[in-house]
Amino acid sequence: MSRTRTNVPAHSRKRLLLALAAGALVAAALVATSLVNARAESPKPVAETASEAAAGTAEVSRLLSGIPQDGTFVGRPDAPVTLVEYADLQCPYCAQWARETLPALIRDYVRPGKLRIEFRGLAFIGPDSDSALRTALAAAAHDRLWHVVELLYLNQGAENSGWASDELLGGILEASGLDPAAVLGARGSQEVEGLLLRANTQAQAARVQGTPSFQLGRTGEALPPLTPHTLAPPPFRAAVEQLLGS
Amino acid sequence: MNERRYVAATGALAALGAGIAGYLTFLHYTDGRIACPTGGCETVQSSSYAELLGVPVALLGLVAYAAILAALAWPREAGRWLALSAAVAGTLFSAYLILVQAYEIGAFCLWCLASDGVVTAIAALAFLRVRAADRHAGAAR
Repeated sequence: MSRTRTNVPAHSRKRLLLALAAGALVAAALVATSLVNARAESPKPVAETASEAAAGTAEVSRLLSGIPQDGTFVGRPDAPVTLVEYADLQCPYCAQWARETLPALIRDYVRPGKLRIEFRGLAFIGPDSDSALRTALAAAAHDRLWHVVELLYLNQGAENSGWASDELLGGILEASGLDPAAVLGARGSQEVEGLLLRANTQAQAARVQGTPSFQLGRTGEALPPLTPHTLAPPPFRAAVEQLLGS
Repeated sequence: MNERRYVAATGALAALGAGIAGYLTFLHYTDGRIACPTGGCETVQSSSYAELLGVPVALLGLVAYAAILAALAWPREAGRWLALSAAVAGTLFSAYLILVQAYEIGAFCLWCLASDGVVTAIAALAFLRVRAADRHAGAAR
């Protein structure tokens, strides 16, 4: 028998075990909640059901129908205000912004010609970011980048799970009215490499440290950073309204 | 080490942990940028594992450190057990979060790892403190 066992009363050992068990129980509850939470927040891939893919396609088509796109821009080039978004297509907060705030900005400001938005894609989360981003940038040559980006966000999978497969990307390109084989084949093109390099350079110049990050200002002028307190529409609306002078 | 030194060391570590968790919680609610040399902090903090039912994990950490600090101020025996339970829970949950960073997210948050180290050190101190107090009580009988 060790000296410890001799000196420590039995009731104390029992309480020690109880304390350790209580801690383990709390930790187990936290882990279980975290796992359930993470699973619930991971969107299902588009290929799971045809109806979900169709719903996403119809939603994006309605959102962007009739709005001019030019490469990485959406909105009229003479819109008085420009918003720049730095985003990683695997970033859940970018997807949240795309689902909750972008539709309101497009409806109220982009469609009436008051605002144009530029997508500057970054791929720092992992391999799925890179393949998704290259596909979106290849679609920019056909002025369909925003269709592809929005469909990617609506079908975003768990980070680096391989969700941005050629099958999913091909389906999204097809739903965007593009030839999947041609666009997927252009992912390594000079144009795509140029857009990747330009966005990275611009992000470094703007000291972007995470996504989504934004710059907002009058079109044609230097765009200062926009640091909203929330990704919900109000701070974006307020900043755009201020620039529009209303 | 005597009881007073255990309390002082645990208190200092819990204050450090509360500082880290407070910093991450503040950034969460203000959309601030994390000072992070590797860039992994943003990735981890924006992942679906950074919140539990809408509550930031960093805020849970802050509450845990606050509980440990409160336990240090409690009557000795109850406080010792509470501090040990809270630190063990924190250590085990931290181990899970490290696995998540390594195998699910594919990036590491240095601030989170620092907090993991702090809570593990607190758990070790809390365990040793309980054992020392028990031995003392056993010897006094």
